[in-house]
Amino acid sequence: MKKIKHLLGSLLLLSAMSLPTATNAQLINGGYFTADWQFNAPVSNDYANVASGWGMAFEGGYYVIPNMSLGLYVSYHTNNKYIGEQVLHLSDTESLYTDQQHSIYQVPFGVATRWRFTTDKMFEPYIGVKLGASYIRMESDTQVYTYYQDRWGFNVQPEIGLNLFPMPTTRVGLHLALYYSYSTNHSHVLTYNIDGYNNIGFRLGLSF
Amino acid sequence: MKKAIPILLLAMAFVACQKDPDLNELSSDLIVYTSHDKGANFGKYLTYAIPDSILVLDDKSKPTYFAANDPRTTAIIGAINSEMKTRGYTEVNDNADADVGLQVSYVKDTNTIISYASANPYWWYGYDYYWPGSYWNPYWMGWGPSYAYPISYTYTIGSLIIEMIALEDANPSTKKIPVIWTAYMAGILSSNQININRTVSGIYQAFEQSPYLQSSAQ
Repeated sequence: MKKIKHLLGSLLLLSAMSLPTATNAQLINGGYFTADWQFNAPVSNDYANVASGWGMAFEGGYYVIPNMSLGLYVSYHTNNKYIGEQVLHLSDTESLYTDQQHSIYQVPFGVATRWRFTTDKMFEPYIGVKLGASYIRMESDTQVYTYYQDRWGFNVQPEIGLNLFPMPTTRVGLHLALYYSYSTNHSHVLTYNIDGYNNIGFRLGLSF
Repeated sequence: MKKAIPILLLAMAFVACQKDPDLNELSSDLIVYTSHDKGANFGKYLTYAIPDSILVLDDKSKPTYFAANDPRTTAIIGAINSEMKTRGYTEVNDNADADVGLQVSYVKDTNTIISYASANPYWWYGYDYYWPGSYWNPYWMGWGPSYAYPISYTYTIGSLIIEMIALEDANPSTKKIPVIWTAYMAGILSSNQININRTVSGIYQAFEQSPYLQSSAQ
Protein backbone atom coordinates (compact mmCIF):
# COMPACT_ATOMS: atom_id res chain seq x y z
CA MET A 1 0.00 0.00 0.00
CA LYS A 2 2.88 2.38 0.76
CA LYS A 3 4.24 1.99 -2.75
CA ILE A 4 0.81 2.64 -4.20
CA LYS A 5 0.40 5.77 -2.13
CA HIS A 6 3.82 7.05 -3.20
CA LEU A 7 3.02 6.33 -6.82
CA LEU A 8 -0.37 7.91 -6.46
CA GLY A 9 1.24 10.97 -4.88
CA SER A 10 3.74 11.31 -7.70
CA LEU A 11 1.02 11.07 -10.32
CA LEU A 12 -1.02 13.66 -8.51
CA LEU A 13 1.93 16.02 -8.21
CA LEU A 14 2.55 15.78 -11.94
CA SER A 15 -1.12 16.21 -12.68
CA ALA A 16 -1.49 19.10 -10.31
CA MET A 17 1.05 21.06 -12.34
CA SER A 18 -1.81 21.82 -14.65
CA LEU A 19 -3.94 23.34 -11.90
CA PRO A 20 -4.98 26.98 -12.16
CA THR A 21 -3.04 29.33 -9.98
CA ALA A 22 -4.77 32.41 -11.28
CA THR A 23 -8.04 33.11 -12.97
CA ASN A 24 -8.30 31.79 -16.50
CA ALA A 25 -4.81 30.33 -16.54
CA GLN A 26 -3.01 27.07 -15.93
CA LEU A 27 0.42 26.58 -14.45
CA ILE A 28 1.18 24.94 -17.77
CA ASN A 29 -0.76 26.64 -20.52
CA GLY A 30 -2.93 24.04 -22.25
CA GLY A 31 -3.02 21.74 -19.25
CA TYR A 32 -6.07 20.38 -17.52
CA PHE A 33 -6.95 18.53 -14.33
CA THR A 34 -10.07 16.70 -13.18
CA ALA A 35 -10.96 15.42 -9.72
CA ASP A 36 -14.08 13.26 -9.56
CA TRP A 37 -16.29 11.24 -7.32
CA GLN A 38 -16.79 7.89 -8.97
CA PHE A 39 -19.72 5.47 -9.08
CA ASN A 40 -19.27 2.05 -10.60
CA ALA A 41 -20.96 -1.28 -11.12
CA PRO A 42 -18.94 -4.45 -11.67
CA VAL A 43 -20.09 -6.60 -14.58
CA SER A 44 -19.41 -10.22 -15.49
CA ASN A 45 -18.50 -11.26 -11.98
CA ASP A 46 -20.59 -12.02 -8.94
CA TYR A 47 -17.89 -11.83 -6.29
CA ALA A 48 -18.54 -8.26 -5.14
CA ASN A 49 -20.95 -6.99 -7.75
CA VAL A 50 -22.87 -4.43 -5.73
CA ALA A 51 -22.61 -0.99 -7.34
CA SER A 52 -21.07 1.63 -5.10
CA GLY A 53 -19.87 5.21 -4.94
CA TRP A 54 -16.82 4.46 -2.82
CA GLY A 55 -14.23 5.80 -5.19
CA MET A 56 -12.50 8.80 -6.71
CA ALA A 57 -10.67 9.51 -9.94
CA PHE A 58 -7.98 12.02 -10.85
CA GLU A 59 -6.59 12.93 -14.24
CA GLY A 60 -4.21 15.59 -15.43
CA GLY A 61 -2.77 16.27 -18.84
CA TYR A 62 -1.62 18.63 -21.52
CA TYR A 63 -3.10 19.38 -24.95
CA VAL A 64 -0.24 18.60 -27.30
CA ILE A 65 -2.38 19.81 -30.20
CA PRO A 66 -5.52 21.91 -29.74
CA ASN A 67 -7.82 18.89 -29.63
CA MET A 68 -5.68 16.08 -28.31
CA SER A 69 -4.15 15.68 -24.89
CA LEU A 70 -1.74 13.33 -23.15
CA GLY A 71 -1.75 12.88 -19.41
CA LEU A 72 -1.84 10.66 -16.39
CA TYR A 73 -4.69 9.13 -14.43
CA VAL A 74 -5.27 7.34 -11.18
CA SER A 75 -8.43 6.20 -9.45
CA TYR A 76 -9.49 4.00 -6.61
CA HIS A 77 -12.71 2.19 -5.90
CA THR A 78 -14.24 -0.35 -3.53
CA ASN A 79 -17.17 -2.69 -4.13
CA ASN A 80 -18.49 -4.87 -1.32
CA LYS A 81 -21.08 -7.63 -1.11
CA TYR A 82 -22.50 -9.64 1.78
CA ILE A 83 -22.58 -13.43 1.35
CA GLY A 84 -24.78 -15.40 3.73
CA GLU A 85 -23.80 -18.51 5.67
CA GLN A 86 -22.73 -21.40 3.49
CA VAL A 87 -20.30 -24.29 3.42
CA LEU A 88 -17.32 -23.67 1.17
CA HIS A 89 -15.50 -26.77 -0.05
CA LEU A 90 -11.94 -25.47 0.03
CA SER A 91 -10.49 -28.71 -1.27
CA ASP A 92 -11.52 -32.35 -1.52
CA THR A 93 -10.81 -32.72 2.21
CA GLU A 94 -11.56 -29.28 3.68
CA SER A 95 -14.84 -27.48 4.31
CA LEU A 96 -15.50 -24.08 5.85
CA TYR A 97 -18.83 -22.80 7.17
CA THR A 98 -19.09 -19.04 7.47
CA ASP A 99 -20.78 -15.92 6.20
CA GLN A 100 -18.63 -13.31 4.49
CA GLN A 101 -18.22 -9.77 3.35
CA HIS A 102 -16.65 -9.80 -0.08
CA SER A 103 -14.63 -6.80 -1.17
CA ILE A 104 -12.82 -5.72 -4.32
CA TYR A 105 -10.50 -2.71 -4.02
CA GLN A 106 -8.95 -1.51 -7.25
CA VAL A 107 -6.38 1.18 -8.04
CA PRO A 108 -5.84 1.57 -11.79
CA PHE A 109 -3.35 4.20 -12.99
CA GLY A 110 -1.35 5.06 -16.08
CA VAL A 111 -1.44 7.29 -19.13
CA ALA A 112 -4.53 8.97 -20.55
CA THR A 113 -5.35 10.62 -23.85
CA ARG A 114 -8.35 12.68 -24.87
CA TRP A 115 -9.82 14.06 -28.04
CA ARG A 116 -12.03 17.08 -27.44
CA PHE A 117 -14.52 17.87 -30.18
CA THR A 118 -14.50 21.61 -29.59
CA THR A 119 -12.33 24.07 -27.81
CA ASP A 120 -15.43 26.02 -26.93
CA LYS A 121 -15.06 28.12 -23.82
CA MET A 122 -18.18 26.65 -22.22
CA PHE A 123 -18.88 23.09 -23.44
CA GLU A 124 -16.07 20.67 -24.05
CA PRO A 125 -17.27 17.18 -24.99
CA TYR A 126 -14.54 14.60 -25.47
CA ILE A 127 -13.71 10.94 -25.88
CA GLY A 128 -10.70 9.38 -24.28
CA VAL A 129 -8.89 6.22 -23.43
CA LYS A 130 -6.69 5.31 -20.51
CA LEU A 131 -4.03 2.60 -20.46
CA GLY A 132 -2.03 1.46 -17.51
CA ALA A 133 -1.58 -0.91 -14.61
CA SER A 134 -4.15 -2.07 -12.13
CA TYR A 135 -3.72 -3.15 -8.54
CA ILE A 136 -6.64 -5.18 -7.18
CA ARG A 137 -7.14 -6.58 -3.70
CA MET A 138 -9.69 -9.40 -3.59
CA GLU A 139 -10.80 -9.88 -0.01
CA SER A 140 -13.19 -11.99 2.04
CA ASP A 141 -13.88 -10.96 5.64
CA THR A 142 -15.40 -13.26 8.23
CA GLN A 143 -15.95 -12.54 11.89
CA VAL A 144 -12.66 -14.20 12.67
CA TYR A 145 -10.39 -14.18 9.63
CA THR A 146 -9.68 -12.04 6.61
CA TYR A 147 -8.62 -13.85 3.45
CA TYR A 148 -7.19 -11.75 0.61
CA GLN A 149 -4.99 -11.75 -2.43
CA ASP A 150 -3.23 -8.76 -4.04
CA ARG A 151 -2.64 -8.96 -7.77
CA TRP A 152 -1.44 -6.71 -10.58
CA GLY A 153 -2.68 -6.50 -14.15
CA PHE A 154 -3.15 -4.20 -17.12
CA ASN A 155 -6.00 -1.74 -17.30
CA VAL A 156 -7.83 -0.08 -20.19
CA GLN A 157 -10.63 2.46 -19.87
CA PRO A 158 -12.52 4.01 -22.77
CA GLU A 159 -14.36 7.11 -21.63
CA ILE A 160 -16.79 9.69 -22.97
CA GLY A 161 -17.18 12.94 -21.09
CA LEU A 162 -18.04 16.58 -20.93
CA ASN A 163 -16.38 19.56 -19.32
CA LEU A 164 -18.71 22.43 -18.56
CA PHE A 165 -17.27 25.84 -17.77
CA PRO A 166 -20.26 28.02 -16.78
CA MET A 167 -18.19 31.09 -15.96
CA PRO A 168 -16.25 32.39 -18.94
CA THR A 169 -13.79 34.24 -16.75
CA THR A 170 -12.57 31.16 -14.92
CA ARG A 171 -11.35 27.71 -15.92
CA VAL A 172 -13.00 26.00 -12.97
CA GLY A 173 -15.86 23.88 -14.27
CA LEU A 174 -17.88 20.71 -13.89
CA HIS A 175 -16.81 17.36 -15.26
CA LEU A 176 -19.03 14.39 -16.13
CA ALA A 177 -17.83 11.17 -17.73
CA LEU A 178 -19.11 7.68 -18.48
CA TYR A 179 -16.50 4.98 -18.56
CA TYR A 180 -15.87 1.29 -18.95
CA SER A 181 -12.89 -0.31 -17.23
CA TYR A 182 -11.28 -3.66 -17.89
CA SER A 183 -8.36 -5.06 -15.92
CA THR A 184 -6.56 -8.30 -16.69
CA ASN A 185 -6.05 -9.25 -13.03
CA HIS A 186 -6.47 -12.87 -11.96
CA SER A 187 -7.22 -13.52 -8.30
CA HIS A 188 -8.24 -16.45 -6.13
CA VAL A 189 -9.63 -16.30 -2.60
CA LEU A 190 -11.17 -19.30 -0.81
CA THR A 191 -13.26 -20.95 -3.54
CA TYR A 192 -13.69 -17.80 -5.65
CA ASN A 193 -11.84 -16.77 -8.78
CA ILE A 194 -11.64 -13.56 -10.75
CA ASP A 195 -10.40 -13.88 -14.29
CA GLY A 196 -10.35 -10.32 -15.58
CA TYR A 197 -12.30 -7.52 -13.93
CA ASN A 198 -14.89 -5.37 -15.74
CA ASN A 199 -16.87 -2.42 -14.50
CA ILE A 200 -18.86 0.46 -15.86
CA GLY A 201 -19.62 3.73 -14.16
CA PHE A 202 -19.67 7.46 -14.19
CA ARG A 203 -17.53 10.22 -12.76
CA LEU A 204 -18.73 13.55 -11.51
CA GLY A 205 -16.46 16.29 -10.29
CA LEU A 206 -14.49 19.41 -11.00
CA SER A 207 -12.47 20.28 -14.03
CA PHE A 208 -9.71 22.86 -14.23
CA MET B 1 -7.95 30.10 -1.37
CA LYS B 2 -7.08 29.00 -4.91
CA LYS B 3 -3.61 27.98 -3.77
CA ALA B 4 -5.23 25.64 -1.29
CA ILE B 5 -7.00 23.65 -4.01
CA PRO B 6 -3.96 21.57 -5.05
CA ILE B 7 -3.18 20.83 -1.42
CA LEU B 8 -6.76 19.75 -0.77
CA LEU B 9 -6.74 17.50 -3.82
CA LEU B 10 -3.46 15.91 -2.83
CA ALA B 11 -4.76 15.37 0.68
CA MET B 12 -7.84 13.66 -0.73
CA ALA B 13 -5.60 11.39 -2.76
CA PHE B 14 -3.40 10.46 0.14
CA VAL B 15 -6.30 9.39 2.28
CA ALA B 16 -7.35 7.13 -0.59
CA CYS B 17 -8.02 3.79 0.94
CA GLN B 18 -10.25 0.83 0.75
CA LYS B 19 -13.75 1.29 2.10
CA ASP B 20 -13.84 -1.42 4.75
CA PRO B 21 -16.90 -3.65 4.58
CA ASP B 22 -19.35 -3.35 7.44
CA LEU B 23 -18.57 -6.36 9.63
CA ASN B 24 -21.70 -5.65 11.66
CA GLU B 25 -23.60 -7.00 8.67
CA LEU B 26 -22.12 -10.42 9.34
CA SER B 27 -24.96 -12.23 11.02
CA SER B 28 -23.02 -15.26 12.16
CA ASP B 29 -20.23 -15.05 14.72
CA LEU B 30 -19.40 -18.68 14.11
CA ILE B 31 -17.01 -20.17 11.61
CA VAL B 32 -16.51 -23.92 11.38
CA TYR B 33 -13.62 -25.55 9.54
CA THR B 34 -13.28 -29.30 9.01
CA SER B 35 -10.65 -31.40 7.32
CA HIS B 36 -10.13 -35.12 7.04
CA ASP B 37 -7.78 -37.83 5.83
CA LYS B 38 -8.84 -38.64 2.30
CA GLY B 39 -7.56 -42.18 2.66
CA ALA B 40 -9.39 -42.96 5.88
CA ASN B 41 -12.20 -45.49 5.78
CA PHE B 42 -14.57 -44.06 8.35
CA GLY B 43 -16.99 -46.89 7.79
CA LYS B 44 -14.69 -49.54 9.22
CA TYR B 45 -14.64 -47.97 12.68
CA LEU B 46 -17.38 -49.14 14.99
CA THR B 47 -16.51 -47.85 18.45
CA TYR B 48 -15.17 -44.64 19.92
CA ALA B 49 -13.93 -43.27 23.22
CA ILE B 50 -14.06 -39.69 24.36
CA PRO B 51 -12.48 -38.20 27.49
CA ASP B 52 -14.90 -36.81 30.04
CA SER B 53 -13.02 -33.52 30.25
CA ILE B 54 -11.82 -30.83 27.84
CA LEU B 55 -8.18 -29.82 27.60
CA VAL B 56 -7.62 -26.07 27.99
CA LEU B 57 -4.76 -24.78 25.86
CA ASP B 58 -3.23 -21.84 27.67
CA ASP B 59 0.12 -20.60 28.93
CA LYS B 60 -0.02 -22.49 32.22
CA SER B 61 2.97 -24.64 33.11
CA LYS B 62 0.68 -27.59 33.74
CA PRO B 63 -2.32 -28.75 31.72
CA THR B 64 -5.75 -27.65 32.90
CA TYR B 65 -9.12 -29.06 31.97
CA PHE B 66 -12.79 -28.24 32.02
CA ALA B 67 -13.85 -30.89 34.52
CA ALA B 68 -16.38 -33.61 33.77
CA ASN B 69 -19.08 -31.93 35.86
CA ASP B 70 -18.53 -28.50 34.29
CA PRO B 71 -21.70 -27.50 32.38
CA ARG B 72 -19.52 -26.50 29.40
CA THR B 73 -18.05 -30.00 29.29
CA THR B 74 -21.36 -31.79 29.59
CA ALA B 75 -22.89 -29.67 26.81
CA ILE B 76 -19.94 -30.04 24.42
CA ILE B 77 -19.27 -33.75 25.05
CA GLY B 78 -23.01 -34.39 24.99
CA ALA B 79 -23.36 -32.82 21.54
CA ILE B 80 -20.42 -34.84 20.18
CA ASN B 81 -21.81 -38.06 21.64
CA SER B 82 -25.19 -37.36 20.14
CA GLU B 83 -23.71 -36.85 16.67
CA MET B 84 -21.40 -39.85 16.89
CA LYS B 85 -24.25 -42.15 17.88
CA THR B 86 -26.41 -40.77 15.08
CA ARG B 87 -23.61 -41.77 12.69
CA GLY B 88 -23.65 -45.32 13.99
CA TYR B 89 -20.63 -45.29 16.29
CA THR B 90 -20.85 -46.93 19.72
CA GLU B 91 -19.24 -45.33 22.74
CA VAL B 92 -16.99 -47.49 24.90
CA ASN B 93 -15.51 -46.60 28.25
CA ASP B 94 -12.22 -48.43 27.85
CA ASN B 95 -9.81 -46.78 25.43
CA ALA B 96 -8.34 -50.20 24.60
CA ASP B 97 -11.69 -51.22 23.09
CA ALA B 98 -12.11 -48.10 20.96
CA ASP B 99 -11.41 -47.96 17.24
CA VAL B 100 -11.19 -44.17 17.30
CA GLY B 101 -10.73 -41.54 19.98
CA LEU B 102 -12.04 -38.01 20.12
CA GLN B 103 -9.93 -35.39 21.84
CA VAL B 104 -11.50 -32.02 22.55
CA SER B 105 -9.48 -28.88 23.29
CA TYR B 106 -10.42 -25.32 24.08
CA VAL B 107 -7.98 -22.59 23.01
CA LYS B 108 -7.73 -20.07 25.80
CA ASP B 109 -4.45 -18.49 24.79
CA THR B 110 -3.04 -17.72 21.36
CA ASN B 111 0.40 -18.98 22.28
CA THR B 112 -0.86 -22.30 21.03
CA ILE B 113 -0.27 -22.65 17.34
CA ILE B 114 -0.83 -25.68 15.23
CA SER B 115 1.46 -25.80 12.27
CA TYR B 116 1.90 -29.11 10.56
CA ALA B 117 2.96 -29.95 7.06
CA SER B 118 4.74 -32.95 5.66
CA ALA B 119 7.91 -30.89 5.40
CA ASN B 120 7.66 -29.76 8.99
CA PRO B 121 7.33 -32.53 11.52
CA TYR B 122 7.47 -30.11 14.45
CA TRP B 123 3.77 -29.76 14.38
CA TRP B 124 2.87 -28.36 17.77
CA TYR B 125 4.44 -25.18 19.04
CA GLY B 126 3.97 -23.41 22.30
CA TYR B 127 2.26 -26.13 24.29
CA ASP B 128 3.82 -29.28 25.63
CA TYR B 129 0.78 -30.94 27.09
CA TYR B 130 -1.34 -31.57 24.03
CA TRP B 131 -3.04 -34.97 24.21
CA PRO B 132 -0.12 -37.40 24.67
CA GLY B 133 -0.24 -40.88 23.18
CA SER B 134 -0.02 -42.25 26.70
CA TYR B 135 -3.43 -40.83 27.47
CA TRP B 136 -4.94 -43.35 25.08
CA ASN B 137 -2.67 -46.24 25.90
CA PRO B 138 -0.20 -46.38 28.80
CA TYR B 139 2.28 -48.21 26.54
CA TRP B 140 2.26 -45.38 24.01
CA MET B 141 4.63 -43.18 25.98
CA GLY B 142 6.26 -40.72 23.58
CA TRP B 143 3.91 -41.53 20.72
CA GLY B 144 2.49 -38.61 18.81
CA PRO B 145 -0.14 -37.78 16.24
CA SER B 146 0.38 -37.81 12.49
CA TYR B 147 -1.68 -35.85 9.98
CA ALA B 148 -2.47 -36.81 6.42
CA TYR B 149 -3.37 -33.19 5.68
CA PRO B 150 -1.58 -29.95 6.40
CA ILE B 151 -2.73 -27.78 9.24
CA SER B 152 -1.39 -24.30 9.54
CA TYR B 153 -3.63 -22.23 11.73
CA THR B 154 -2.88 -19.81 14.45
CA TYR B 155 -5.82 -20.69 16.58
CA THR B 156 -7.56 -17.70 18.05
CA ILE B 157 -8.63 -17.14 21.62
CA GLY B 158 -11.98 -18.76 22.26
CA SER B 159 -11.98 -21.56 19.75
CA LEU B 160 -12.64 -25.28 20.00
CA ILE B 161 -10.74 -28.12 18.35
CA ILE B 162 -12.08 -31.65 18.00
CA GLU B 163 -9.77 -34.30 16.61
CA MET B 164 -10.63 -37.87 15.74
CA ILE B 165 -7.64 -40.20 16.03
CA ALA B 166 -7.54 -43.72 14.64
CA LEU B 167 -6.46 -45.75 17.67
CA GLU B 168 -6.95 -48.92 15.68
CA ASP B 169 -4.38 -47.76 13.12
CA ALA B 170 -1.69 -46.57 15.52
CA ASN B 171 1.68 -47.54 14.09
CA PRO B 172 4.15 -49.13 16.57
CA SER B 173 7.12 -48.77 14.22
CA THR B 174 6.70 -45.02 13.74
CA LYS B 175 4.99 -44.47 17.10
CA LYS B 176 2.39 -42.33 15.35
CA ILE B 177 -1.36 -42.21 15.82
CA PRO B 178 -3.17 -41.01 12.67
CA VAL B 179 -5.44 -37.98 13.07
CA ILE B 180 -8.19 -38.62 10.55
CA TRP B 181 -10.62 -35.76 11.19
CA THR B 182 -10.26 -32.24 12.55
CA ALA B 183 -13.04 -29.83 13.38
CA TYR B 184 -12.18 -26.30 14.37
CA MET B 185 -14.67 -23.64 15.35
CA ALA B 186 -14.04 -20.01 16.23
CA GLY B 187 -16.25 -17.17 17.33
CA ILE B 188 -17.75 -19.09 20.23
CA LEU B 189 -17.14 -16.41 22.86
CA SER B 190 -19.70 -13.95 24.18
CA SER B 191 -18.42 -11.38 26.68
CA ASN B 192 -15.27 -13.49 27.10
CA GLN B 193 -17.30 -16.55 28.10
CA ILE B 194 -18.02 -19.64 26.03
CA ASN B 195 -21.43 -19.29 24.45
CA ILE B 196 -22.70 -22.84 24.88
CA ASN B 197 -25.55 -22.58 22.38
CA ARG B 198 -23.23 -21.28 19.69
CA THR B 199 -20.60 -23.92 20.47
CA VAL B 200 -23.14 -26.73 20.27
CA SER B 201 -24.42 -25.28 16.98
CA GLY B 202 -20.83 -25.33 15.75
CA ILE B 203 -20.45 -28.99 16.68
CA TYR B 204 -23.64 -29.90 14.83
CA GLN B 205 -22.41 -27.90 11.83
CA ALA B 206 -19.03 -29.67 11.89
CA PHE B 207 -20.71 -33.05 11.63
CA GLU B 208 -23.21 -31.82 9.05
CA GLN B 209 -20.42 -30.73 6.71
CA SER B 210 -18.63 -34.06 7.25
CA PRO B 211 -21.05 -36.58 5.73
CA TYR B 212 -18.24 -39.15 5.36
CA LEU B 213 -18.34 -39.69 9.15
CA GLN B 214 -20.51 -42.77 9.03
CA SER B 215 -19.91 -46.14 10.63
CA SER B 216 -20.75 -49.26 8.65
CA ALA B 217 -22.40 -50.58 11.81
CA GLN B 218 -25.47 -48.51 11.03
